[in-house]
Amino acid sequence: MIEELKAHEDFRQQVREWLARNLPKDWQAEMLGASEDEHAAFQKRWFRQMREGGYVAPHWPKQWGGGGMSFPQQIVLFEELARAGAPRLVLYFISLYHAPATLLEWGSEEQRKRHLPAILTGDEIWCQGFSEPGAGSDLASLRTKAERRGDVYVINGQKTWSSNAYRARYCLLLARTDSTAPKHKGISYFILDLESKGVTRRPIRMLTGGSHFCELFLDNVEIPAENRIGEEGQGWAVAQSTLASERGLTALEFAERMRQALALLVRDASKPAPWGGRFIDDAGIRRQLVDVHIGTETLHVLVGNMLTRALRGDGGGSEASIIKIYHSEMLQKFTDLGVQLGGISGQYVQSVLMGGGYESGYWMHDNLYSWACTIAGGSNEIQRNIIAEKTLGLPREPKLASGH
Amino acid sequence: MDFKLTEEQSALVEAVQAILGDHSELTVSNRHGFCHFDHKLQHLLLENGFLDAGRDLGALEAALVTIEASRIPATVEVGASAIVAARLLPDERVEGPIALIGEGGLDKPVRNLPVARTAFVESGDDVLVLKIEAKDVEITPSIYAYPFGRFRTEPDLTRCQRIVGAAVQLRQWWRVALAAECSGTAQSAIAFTIDHVNNRQVLGRAVGSYQSVQHRLVQCHMIAQGIHFLTLRAAWSGDPAHADEAACYAQQHVQKFMVDLHQFNGAMGVTNEHLLHFWTYRLRALQSEAGGAHGAARSIARARWARSSMPKVAGGRA
Repeated sequence: MIEELKAHEDFRQQVREWLARNLPKDWQAEMLGASEDEHAAFQKRWFRQMREGGYVAPHWPKQWGGGGMSFPQQIVLFEELARAGAPRLVLYFISLYHAPATLLEWGSEEQRKRHLPAILTGDEIWCQGFSEPGAGSDLASLRTKAERRGDVYVINGQKTWSSNAYRARYCLLLARTDSTAPKHKGISYFILDLESKGVTRRPIRMLTGGSHFCELFLDNVEIPAENRIGEEGQGWAVAQSTLASERGLTALEFAERMRQALALLVRDASKPAPWGGRFIDDAGIRRQLVDVHIGTETLHVLVGNMLTRALRGDGGGSEASIIKIYHSEMLQKFTDLGVQLGGISGQYVQSVLMGGGYESGYWMHDNLYSWACTIAGGSNEIQRNIIAEKTLGLPREPKLASGH
Repeated sequence: MDFKLTEEQSALVEAVQAILGDHSELTVSNRHGFCHFDHKLQHLLLENGFLDAGRDLGALEAALVTIEASRIPATVEVGASAIVAARLLPDERVEGPIALIGEGGLDKPVRNLPVARTAFVESGDDVLVLKIEAKDVEITPSIYAYPFGRFRTEPDLTRCQRIVGAAVQLRQWWRVALAAECSGTAQSAIAFTIDHVNNRQVLGRAVGSYQSVQHRLVQCHMIAQGIHFLTLRAAWSGDPAHADEAACYAQQHVQKFMVDLHQFNGAMGVTNEHLLHFWTYRLRALQSEAGGAHGAARSIARARWARSSMPKVAGGRA
């Protein structure tokens, strides 16, 4: 991989210079404790700035307005964004990754033309409607119904954990079109216009105080049949393309941001300790810092291995699952140490750095949010099942006979 | 680093695997001991040039050979010869097997000393190259899966070759070598356990079909992967910090392997009628070498946060 990256040193320099010119120097001050509205406005500004620079959709084909960048170029770009501490485009995560990955592989030409250019304006925000109160890790058990009536599907059900649904216009929706088919086969995939009649959005207040997750209540919502993606009953296969877009470079970004954020822990550990001297002079604290440091380095080499394999077209293993577990569990240790270093004052809920990384240095918030990371994106328990079966070759847990 | 092996590196690994394949099973007479040092295999690795991989090819290649040789239940000495000696004395061939002795370790049991012909002895900032004869060493009874021995009388160091200022280098490459051994050994111990839990039935099901077992084995696998890639990076980069990180990570997770792997092998797993201990007891022996996990951690902290007023601990360099 190193040779491929070396070939893009000029590009790295170009990105670095662009960031030096364009990254708002005071963005952290502006976003610290910002309201959801202020954050959304800032995200839109940064999105447009990134688009002007040609960096907002590096993985999209040029044909659709993206950067058409090679995989090594994307690695370089994400490394530099993380190193510069640039804000994450969290408001657009589904719009930039899930929506295009789904539409480009399964969507009709009409659907692509309608939505892909609109996403790049920064005005069309998307969310995801997969999880339900009774179908999270076991997504295939979803119960939201889609009933075909002429040219429309009528949707009834409830979705949850839809990030940014409150601000989104469109939703990638999974619903059951055939309740008699085996559960993976009776699902279809739709584009839902959230301004349709019968859609109710309710933000969910998190332990962190934030509320970017929403519940969606769908009561007799009509979706035109042309907004179905793929064939009826093909939704599960389409959803795999959506979910696959989460892996890969996002792991690189998370690993790189965590590596950079170690400096924030060291900054706090260098402050005076109540017992005299500095925290960092305490052997116990130093040891915890070393463990966190080694953890970030281990994550870094595991991601390096995964990207190397992906570059060679060999990405079918369970590396993404390993990295997901590793990152999320490291994040909990990392931010917990931050809270410890904050002492009593670190126990209060501080202002939130909106759009910051998972390790923003506002440790109580970071730590509270880290608890979500071992659940989101496929819980760590599900990831362990995947690794056990796919990589270690262990037998599946047998299903109980019906009636038990 | 590039984590994909080159064609030459892959060929090297395949070649060493071909030789190791003939030695991957222990004979019945060797199965019930605590340790089986395979002298014949040691000779074959030497004759076929694998112990010169560090000189002829590079430290990464030497680490690959060490990892492979650590996968079999029998013991050979590869890391000190292929990795450490090649870095400390790149232009000299040192008679092996080689034992590594830390500061103040001359009167203590030393791994591989009963089979060693040379020892690298840490002495202040320098390293002494000590020639060893079999009569100088008595075997130390040990349950670890390496031969351990100690000097009958304190060796005469006045005639030793002195490598000036090499102690830091010794510590660095020793850590790479032990991390490489941990990598191969841990991977084999996990594979052995997976085989066992796939075959062993409990309550009408394979032990390995229980999630409570699967999830802990996955954790072991993830740790072993981390050790593996940290080791390869340390061998490739030659950066002492990377060596400290690889050794620290490997050594601090030994206990996790010990607890989980023995647990899943059941009661037979804590007897020497079962092969597991040939790997896990090597891991246990490696746990405290070269300063152990705490020594490596102190080294990392000192290098990264040098302005600290951390108190020095007597008797250890790191």
